[in-house]
Amino acid sequence: MPANRHATLVAREPLDEAYFLLTFRHPEIAHSARAGQFVMIKAGVSVEPPLRRPFSILSVDPGEETFSLFVKAIGEGTRALTRLAEGEVAQCLGPLGRPFTRPEAGTEAVMVAGGYGIAPFFLFARELRAANRSGRVFYGGRGERDLQLRERFTGLVPLVTATEDGSLGARGRVTAPLEAFLDDRAGAVRLYACGPDAMLHAVARVAERRGIEAEASLDPWMGCGIGTCLGCVVFTQSRDEARAKYRCACTEGPVFDTSLVVWPGETESRARRRAKVEA
Amino acid sequence: MKLAVELGGLRLKNPLVAASGTFGYGAEYEGLLDLSLLGGLVSKGLYLEPRDGAPTPRIVETPSGLLNAIGLQGVGVRAFVKDVLPRLARYDTAVLVNVCGDTVEEYAEVTRIVDGAPGAAGIEVNISCPNVKKGGMAFGGDPRMTAEVVSAVRKATRLPVIPKLSPNVADITLFARVCEESGADALSCINTLLGLVIDVETRKPRLAFGTGGLSGPAIRPIAVRMAWQAAQAVKIPVMGIGGITCAQDALEFLIAGCRAVQIGTSNFVDPGLYERVLADLRAYLERHHLQDVNEVVGTLEFPGQPSRKEVAP
Repeated sequence: MPANRHATLVAREPLDEAYFLLTFRHPEIAHSARAGQFVMIKAGVSVEPPLRRPFSILSVDPGEETFSLFVKAIGEGTRALTRLAEGEVAQCLGPLGRPFTRPEAGTEAVMVAGGYGIAPFFLFARELRAANRSGRVFYGGRGERDLQLRERFTGLVPLVTATEDGSLGARGRVTAPLEAFLDDRAGAVRLYACGPDAMLHAVARVAERRGIEAEASLDPWMGCGIGTCLGCVVFTQSRDEARAKYRCACTEGPVFDTSLVVWPGETESRARRRAKVEA
Repeated sequence: MKLAVELGGLRLKNPLVAASGTFGYGAEYEGLLDLSLLGGLVSKGLYLEPRDGAPTPRIVETPSGLLNAIGLQGVGVRAFVKDVLPRLARYDTAVLVNVCGDTVEEYAEVTRIVDGAPGAAGIEVNISCPNVKKGGMAFGGDPRMTAEVVSAVRKATRLPVIPKLSPNVADITLFARVCEESGADALSCINTLLGLVIDVETRKPRLAFGTGGLSGPAIRPIAVRMAWQAAQAVKIPVMGIGGITCAQDALEFLIAGCRAVQIGTSNFVDPGLYERVLADLRAYLERHHLQDVNEVVGTLEFPGQPSRKEVAP
């Protein structure tokens, strides 16, 4: 059950000019959050900017009753959060949303992250290790500085990087090393993606072409985080639905099976197309 | 200390009501706050049938505000009456149902369905949603249609009828009077203000629908002014709505002449705010040596006007 409370900032770690690791005290999140879930959070109690912001939960520490977020200061809301001093409070509601589905035994979790989309995969990698499942991460960004936190996966899961400017790892899109890996891999895999929409769509296409299951964590603008404003809806269609319908990313996501999403430029979901072929 | 208020047959244990479209169907907030803290709640707008709503993106943040074009996505009145109303019965709070329609007949039919089910305390008539092509603001911006819709809803129920007025008109007092003459028991003032946010890179509106409805603290002074005008124009009570974040904000509306207030966008920002607002409201009354929240209603001393109601001794 999510809890709405003031959460004290207990640690603030700048990673570079734009990226921060922020750790807050919030017992309910620390004890019950699962990878892929998120929080709605806002610095202090000021009016401006009005809305809380959604963030994937990066890690939890049940012993300390804390959780951490990976925040890129982009706009007013994120900047206000990263300017909090230790001891100051944020208004925080969580944990919220549907987490990633853990792979079955013998299936490898292949995580695909773009930029700050790496956040939920740190918690996921820890969960996988605790559950004795194997996993690996493909991590892409525009350049080296977008690939923060990569060292923290050392000893947890293997991690392959790609940058569009070639400053770290393979030059180009992260889907290239992903596809090369999938070409060579014989065993069962399940894909997990978090990052920009174009990357999520690309991973959905890879999954469709190869007939593998995939989940994506979507990141639309959210108003409330609990399914009441209906601002964050995603166009989706299950195999049984003749028409696509809007589902809230906050309550029915943010993690969606990629085959249920009607991606931009498409008129039907992959699940529906498959159901029609089978019929 | 007395916090209970009465609006045209609608009894509220306190003057704080959750506004339509910002509180889902109520049940979403179970577990996050005690719904019995609320004087009342207004459901998301309901048509006869389920609706998909507007394309995405549907919301954009603005200075101290939120511009939305949700387009009245909803489950339809029958699902609400069957699944949600019984669940809300366990809470000591008044459940108002926000009624919509593409036609006058649809408003009446939705109202009849609500009237026939136990659990609803009143009907809020949505003649002010700016994000639908038919009904909504198209009706609430036309005095003749306003009269037709409100009269039809009036005939369809014994419950208190509360039209929600649009601020997107030149003179809200005209519409307030039309509603009163058409049998309304109270008024909700105001719905969102029509707005437009443009992405200068793409030169397109930020919202897929194009325009949207502006809410939040940005609109509060306009809302207080319009609720004040409406309250002066009619004898029926008014519920003030627009950008309330705290007890001070709520008190502005009460002093302006509103008998109760609705809290909207702030539900998204802090679902736990009712406890704080109620505590601060009590503290204000205590500080002003008032025993009853009704004593503060309509006590605005406006320059050049005799005060409308005297503060009780």
